[in-house]
Amino acid sequence: MGLLALGTPLDWPEAKKKADYVRQWGIEQLLAIWKRAKGKERDALRWGDEIEYLVVAFDEDRQKVKLSLRQADILRDLAEDSVLKEQGGYVPDLQAVQHHGDSIPVFHPEFGRFMLEATPGKPWGIGFKDLLDVEPNMKWRRVIAKDHMNSNEYPITLTTFPRLGTRDDFIEPYFQPSGERLRSQFLPDEIANPHIRFPTLAANIRSRRGRKVEINVPVFKDDKTPLPFKDPTVNYDLHKWPEDDDVRNGAAKDDHIYMDAMAFGMGSCCLQITFQAKNIIEGRKLYDQLSPLGPIMLALTAATPIYKGFLADTDVRWNQIGRAVDDRTREELGEAPLKHDRWRIPKSRYASNSTYISQDPRLRKEYMDPDLVVDQDLKQRLMNGGMDDLLATHFAHLFIRDPIVIFAEDLKELDLNKTDHFENLQSTNWQHMRFKPPPHDKDTGWRVEFRPMEIQITDFENAAFSILIVLITRAILSFDLNFYIPIPLTTANMETAHARNAVLEQKFHFRNDPLPPRPMKVNGASGTSTPAHQTSRPPTPTGPVEDEHSLMTIDEIINGRSGKGFPGLIPLVESYLNSVNVDVETRCELARYLDLISKRASGQLWTTAKWIRHFVRENEDYKGDSVVSEHVNYDLLKAVEEITENEGKTGVGEEMLRSGWATRPQGSACG
Amino acid sequence: MTNLILSTSNLMNGGPSIIGRPTSEKSNVELINALRSNFLLSKQAFAPSLNGSSDGSSPDTSSDVPYSRWTARENGSLFVPSVDFSQSGLAEERSQYDITVKLFFLPHTSASERCKHTKEAIDLVLRELHMPSIDLLIVSFPGVSFDADDEEEEEEEEEELNGSQHGEGDDMKAMAETWKAIEWLHEKRIASQIGVSEFGSERLQKFLPQTKVRPSVDQINVRDCCVVPKALILYAKQEKIELLTHNDCTNILPSGTVRELLGTGEKGAGVLAGPEEESDGLKGEVEPQWVVKYTAVVRDRGVIENKGYFAMAEVRD
Repeated sequence: MGLLALGTPLDWPEAKKKADYVRQWGIEQLLAIWKRAKGKERDALRWGDEIEYLVVAFDEDRQKVKLSLRQADILRDLAEDSVLKEQGGYVPDLQAVQHHGDSIPVFHPEFGRFMLEATPGKPWGIGFKDLLDVEPNMKWRRVIAKDHMNSNEYPITLTTFPRLGTRDDFIEPYFQPSGERLRSQFLPDEIANPHIRFPTLAANIRSRRGRKVEINVPVFKDDKTPLPFKDPTVNYDLHKWPEDDDVRNGAAKDDHIYMDAMAFGMGSCCLQITFQAKNIIEGRKLYDQLSPLGPIMLALTAATPIYKGFLADTDVRWNQIGRAVDDRTREELGEAPLKHDRWRIPKSRYASNSTYISQDPRLRKEYMDPDLVVDQDLKQRLMNGGMDDLLATHFAHLFIRDPIVIFAEDLKELDLNKTDHFENLQSTNWQHMRFKPPPHDKDTGWRVEFRPMEIQITDFENAAFSILIVLITRAILSFDLNFYIPIPLTTANMETAHARNAVLEQKFHFRNDPLPPRPMKVNGASGTSTPAHQTSRPPTPTGPVEDEHSLMTIDEIINGRSGKGFPGLIPLVESYLNSVNVDVETRCELARYLDLISKRASGQLWTTAKWIRHFVRENEDYKGDSVVSEHVNYDLLKAVEEITENEGKTGVGEEMLRSGWATRPQGSACG
Repeated sequence: MTNLILSTSNLMNGGPSIIGRPTSEKSNVELINALRSNFLLSKQAFAPSLNGSSDGSSPDTSSDVPYSRWTARENGSLFVPSVDFSQSGLAEERSQYDITVKLFFLPHTSASERCKHTKEAIDLVLRELHMPSIDLLIVSFPGVSFDADDEEEEEEEEEELNGSQHGEGDDMKAMAETWKAIEWLHEKRIASQIGVSEFGSERLQKFLPQTKVRPSVDQINVRDCCVVPKALILYAKQEKIELLTHNDCTNILPSGTVRELLGTGEKGAGVLAGPEEESDGLKGEVEPQWVVKYTAVVRDRGVIENKGYFAMAEVRD
């Protein structure tokens, strides 16, 4: 989420009036980008990862850990330090890690005032030695971040702070909840980044929706969890804002943990990977082919078993974010007859994606989402401008949403050399894949962002998952792999991925055979002695779509089925690696990463979610009642800090990581 | 005598043959499957089609196709299947690619034959890819197999001593002699870099002094790269030889396999005559001479665009 220039944001009733304006201008800007960049060719593979951190502050005396709201201070210190660095005076103890010759990492603010985001200073390439730099670079980023924090603060990579929104002083400094912007009974307005864009986003989502956002996560029913579980932290007697009525109208459900603000979702940390494609064609192909992998990678990276001080019965963050930014009205949700709004909308702005966009003969119309909502007028405008049906449909689908944050200053005139209005809609459609047109600089090409993965505790794991996705894209392009399944099945898989321990206990719809059909040689000149034959693809398959996919475990999808079944993503990646020149050291490092992922999929190693849940339940202070107390939370985050530093080698967290370091070579290429 | 030129065409179009089961073991499965599938496809192109159907669901009539229909003679060689070099080639210009070629010499060939084989093999690859040169040429000698666990010095020397007796390990002199042909390709700028495969540090130490152009690459098996002996790593670093990984087996095309691929058996292509007298196949002993594998990777995108094999076998009356 980049910062926009400061300006005067419109409150929702005003913004709503200008929504059509912004959409139309956004579409004109999109057409301008598309016309300029559709012929862009031969861009190199460049890719980047984004690591998001929670900043926590330990209070050793009280055995307590809080979220630190010092994002702005930390970023300011970082910014001042990079000035120092240019003058040759960068922090000396960083020099040791800096010899990689990398550009200084870039730090960004995020929605939560307790969050930081860090990206590599320059994008990665596909040179295999680049892949070896990813993990050290991630570690370097964390060292730099830590170095600009107070001594009791630490940048951890958990998806959520386990006690965000509890009744005690879980933030440092402390602010009262129930502010004018969020109107949350759990979180203060100060929890969000103070930049005007963020509180406006939260306030206008609430305003558009007509009530607070409503997040109910099923509670994990442990031996002593009271049943029915009625979230004890909910205050039914608050009368400060009209929205305080929400809970009296049944917003908080039995047997669920109830949350009521955008920051409960957008305060989550993710691991996102963006790839630059060779051209628009390759970008569209990668967007489609990575899409069915989204729920698989979500379940495999599961890391979110706690909300607001309670163990949840789910393992991932996804739907909580979806609900935290769900600005749909009752009419759009289908809870009231359509009178004022234009259509019912089946998904939140933050949801699994609903389009395929590749002009690929393998894309059958049966795969498309039958419930797709499209703004037909905007689609027509795009097609009149020359865009093809598939891509026009995609963007006209994203543009069914209202722009949430509009700055008065941006409405003066339409500037086709800018992308602000387009980005306003594009960047507030948080789908699990994002297709990104080139900005107006000369260097950047068409990009695809893979967004579903949960952040992992260690940089080793984060590097492993990032690199896996990069290698999968190379295998997709080299082997012309086909992962198409009907979009509604990916939507269903996304729900399945939420189940506790989905990685081992659930099955997912997946395509049986990703390999291209055998080519056919066409006898072009029969009768001559040296016939010219050429290779051509068989026609688009026409068998029943149901026969193309089946339910598989994550283990089968990642490691392969025995016999003639799905070959497995890791064997596909291995085949790719066997066909390119990889040096011994790199191959050995890559083997560590693939081994981690393979064992997570097979269950030999635990997901982060499983480990956290187990840690809590084994803690001496845990009472078997689903409550993650301040003390348990302190112990947990201390353990997380230790794992971040030692990657399981001290025994803490080894259930997640054991093989990662056990196979590390001794006195060899990889030492 | 007839030289058979076996080819796979581009495996990257070929789907199933390239993806084996978990592939940490050294293997020639890819080559064998790719050859078999290319022979079959080529025969099918000439099979009488039933109802014009071409979706593969019709009964296979390809076994009735005589080999002369789908193979081609050129300068005394028989191309199995026939290759239309005008249909191949890479999509972009030379500078966009990293082209690696690995040449497998096979047992029972002399150094002077191997020099000739080198030229033949590289010529075919360049014709296939429509390129004037390659980036890296790696040679693999039969019987030279680096096994990390075995790189104990005594064993190595024992193998060297016994090598010539039981005909397994190639002796150093023959390798150095063959290397001249590789150096020649380097001097002619047809191969920018040249390298060897499966050399341990002992063998490298003996080999390097006998070369004019030193190998810049040593390719070793990846089965468990993490136990690469320190001696080899240090020596390679010192001599500026890059250690790359592979999972090919050295004896990549045994003559029995070629007979099976080309014979009249159930899985054979019917190019070689079977035991039954009336068969129209080639008669005589088949002896594979070399195999060459080529891979073209788009340089800054890491995408494999073309990968395939040629192999040459002699049929002696």
